[in-house]
Amino acid sequence: MYEAVYAHPDGDSTVARHALTAAESGFDGIVVRNHGDEPADYDADAIADEYGVDVAEGVEVRAENPSRASGFVGNHRSEATVVVVHGGDPTLNRFAVEQPAVDVLAHPMRGDGDFNHVLANEAAANGVRVAYSLGPVLRASGGSRVRAIKQLRKLRELLEDADAPFVVTAGPVSHLQQRAPRELVAVGEAVGFDAETIREGLAEWGRLVERNRERRRDSFVEPGVTVESEEERP
Amino acid sequence: MKHLPKHLRPRWRYLAVEIESWPDAAFDRRAFQREVWYAAQNLLGDTGSAETDMTVLRFERRGGAGHAIVRTRRGETDAARAALACLDSVDGDAVRVRIRGISGTVRACEEKYIGGPPEAPQQRHVVFENADRSATVRDPRYDVETASDGAFVGATALDFR
Repeated sequence: MYEAVYAHPDGDSTVARHALTAAESGFDGIVVRNHGDEPADYDADAIADEYGVDVAEGVEVRAENPSRASGFVGNHRSEATVVVVHGGDPTLNRFAVEQPAVDVLAHPMRGDGDFNHVLANEAAANGVRVAYSLGPVLRASGGSRVRAIKQLRKLRELLEDADAPFVVTAGPVSHLQQRAPRELVAVGEAVGFDAETIREGLAEWGRLVERNRERRRDSFVEPGVTVESEEERP
Repeated sequence: MKHLPKHLRPRWRYLAVEIESWPDAAFDRRAFQREVWYAAQNLLGDTGSAETDMTVLRFERRGGAGHAIVRTRRGETDAARAALACLDSVDGDAVRVRIRGISGTVRACEEKYIGGPPEAPQQRHVVFENADRSATVRDPRYDVETASDGAFVGATALDFR
């Protein structure tokens, strides 16, 4: 199970601190999803070795309009293991679910963003994972929390109907905002999710990381096709 | 009032709760207890809050680290866990809450999941992003004070190699 975190300077804790906390909490790894304009400076392998959790380099693309977002996705795709699109705007949500190059659409319901069955089907067709963001449930209160829970329910119904892939995250900006997987499962159950859905959503990050690392290897041609090394060839 | 016969007494479960905060946080047991009640009521409502019936028993904090034992009714541990996870700040200080484990007695809870008192933090001067900063250290955790108004950045020993 993985958590997707915002690290300093986009957040209040360094990648190392996030990794240490994630290891204590029982995560298998973290995805660093700093926004593209505030990248973190870190040595993923050294941190992974020290604290025993996987550290995947990701990016969250934040843009005003789809054409700029498309450029950013193209730029980051070759370097980042996980490409997330900062959703929450109807046109950007639409853009993200239509792009197979995008891995995850984050917080589609934030702000004036919305989701519907068309986007859900499109996300399923393109394999774009839509994020259930538990952050507002954990950290907001009153009306905004009620809205967030309501929107999570709407999103859940749409994604279940379309059988679209999804991920789950608390979106922590500091190590203090991290919550352990079991806690996230308990909170998920309190707001109407199955325990299994939350676990799957947390595990999905890991599968995504593994798949994308596989794809970035030189030997990779397309799914199911790889180039064997010279010696092994008859 | 006369105490209840054993089979009628409530069955409790004791949650060992780890509390982490920035080193300048200054809340005490009462404030923590109040936030626990608020968190339960906000997430679970009045009925759920009454069902879980959470009470903070032991509470110890030092610098940015601390722990508490929270008592809840048997069978309500998942709801209690969810409510505690939604504890985001106490008296305006951000906190991270993690349940280390659940036991049937206070003593087992302490022995298995709590251990000794939180270690005392040390003050150290570090160079963070090319500037001299003061850091509160609980090895390997470094909480670096990046502004005098108590803005911290969480780091670890790895960031200062």
